[in-house]
Amino acid sequence: MAQFIEMLTYDFMQRSLLAAATVGAVCSVIGVFVVLRGLAFVGAGTAHAAFAGVALAYLVGLPPLPLAIIFGLATVWVTGVMEEQGRMKLDVSIGILYTATMALAILFIGLMKGYNAEVYGYLFGSVLSVTPDELRVILVLSMVVLGVLLTFSKELYFIAFDQEMAEASGVPARRIFYLLLTLVALTVVVSLKTVGAILVFAMILIPASTAYQLTHSLSHMTAYAVVIGVACAVGGVLLSYIWDLPSGPAIVLLATTIFFLSVLLSPKRRRVQTA
Amino acid sequence: MAKTIIRFDHATFGFSDVIALQDISLEITEGEFVGVIGPNGSGKTTLCRAVLGLMPPLGGSLQIFDCACEELRCHHRARIGYLPQKGVLDKNFPITVLETVMMGRYGALGLFNRPSKRDRDIALEALSHVGMEDRRNTALGHLSGGQQQRVFIARALAQQPDVLLLDEPTTGIDITTQHSVLDLIRHLHRDLKLTILLITHDINMIRSSVDRLVLLKTRLYAAGPPEEVLRPDVLRQVYGKDLVITERDLIIVEDYHHHH
Repeated sequence: MAQFIEMLTYDFMQRSLLAAATVGAVCSVIGVFVVLRGLAFVGAGTAHAAFAGVALAYLVGLPPLPLAIIFGLATVWVTGVMEEQGRMKLDVSIGILYTATMALAILFIGLMKGYNAEVYGYLFGSVLSVTPDELRVILVLSMVVLGVLLTFSKELYFIAFDQEMAEASGVPARRIFYLLLTLVALTVVVSLKTVGAILVFAMILIPASTAYQLTHSLSHMTAYAVVIGVACAVGGVLLSYIWDLPSGPAIVLLATTIFFLSVLLSPKRRRVQTA
Repeated sequence: MAKTIIRFDHATFGFSDVIALQDISLEITEGEFVGVIGPNGSGKTTLCRAVLGLMPPLGGSLQIFDCACEELRCHHRARIGYLPQKGVLDKNFPITVLETVMMGRYGALGLFNRPSKRDRDIALEALSHVGMEDRRNTALGHLSGGQQQRVFIARALAQQPDVLLLDEPTTGIDITTQHSVLDLIRHLHRDLKLTILLITHDINMIRSSVDRLVLLKTRLYAAGPPEEVLRPDVLRQVYGKDLVITERDLIIVEDYHHHH
């Protein structure tokens, strides 16, 4: 116990816990809309694109964040246009973008001279090494994303449920859809440093899908998702410190465990069995 | 003299290479109950999208509430309550009945405004009109098809519309429920003084309820009281061989082949 209290007094530990909790919250709220609107793979595609932005930034010596945002936004917007035009199935177009941006990232890394540990930090996540500056960026961007989500929550819920109906009843549904895509990209970028490009996808999907198992109400789903997301992020950081595990996988595997528990214990599942 | 609220004037709709509706001229006046009929692919759903302002005409014009449909402002759209064709609802989608009906308020509220007690009251009143107020906290996915249809009608009513636009409201639900949904629509027409635009392929179901029938097959073939439209010579132009007239003068078209 004393050791636990001592751990919480370290500056770096406080920073990582705050960063993890913030990322856990923002990922789980955006995740609700991603899961309900069926945009799961957009998150994955965006994460790899943002990582390609980071790799390019290190290659040419620019700050990684702006390039990650540009790459992320470009990917989600292209995806959005593809979905609207419906020329190709969405899973196909995202699959192509996803691997193409990953190829770009590998290309950029290959062009670098020598091994760059920082780049790999963005790939796998390293929340225990979050600097005060990075924490500030995470906090500000997360507040922006959460603020916009809260402001437009009723429209976002509506397009997640039925976008055509939303449009027909006077909601500017297309613009709200692109807003959602933009927020997904920003969320991915915010989370890159904490959980990494490969695992951020899980942080967006798992808390929301877990909450999905547990309730029949939209508002409850969001509340449950946030609690699960923050708890898993904080719990994962603590576990990674105590057992000296990499932080990203610790967070994601903890969340995955809770997800499978929720599937087993879901009241929806029980209903089906008794029906 | 009742006011004209929807006016098609030689309007043509479609995409550049496919014409879905051609040269439609039609006026719908306040308080009318109009049934739109026609075979599959006759442009019924296009008519629906056009009235909702989702599809501007390629030629001619469409005026809704004194406003060209391509310029329909969002608060105008809220004045048309819309029941889309019954799609497949994900039974596990986490949404309650009241949350569904509240969505009907969102368009009218506009961006940045949060739903208030008043909006909740309007939603509850809409639910009571369709007889579902006791189920307000039930999961939408737990309801039967007919009950879901009632909830979606309540969502349209929560917009406090002048016009109710119903796309195949009785398709995909059992026959008893079909009649109760149609009774409900008649009640809304009579008691709430709503203008009803009902799109269906089921002529027999609605023939005794409507003031006017509109017969479509890309072009407008007839528009008038049911006894004028439901004549063999008129219907045959659209349905051709699919038209079957039984001894009791019931007209069974198209579906006859699919179901028998």
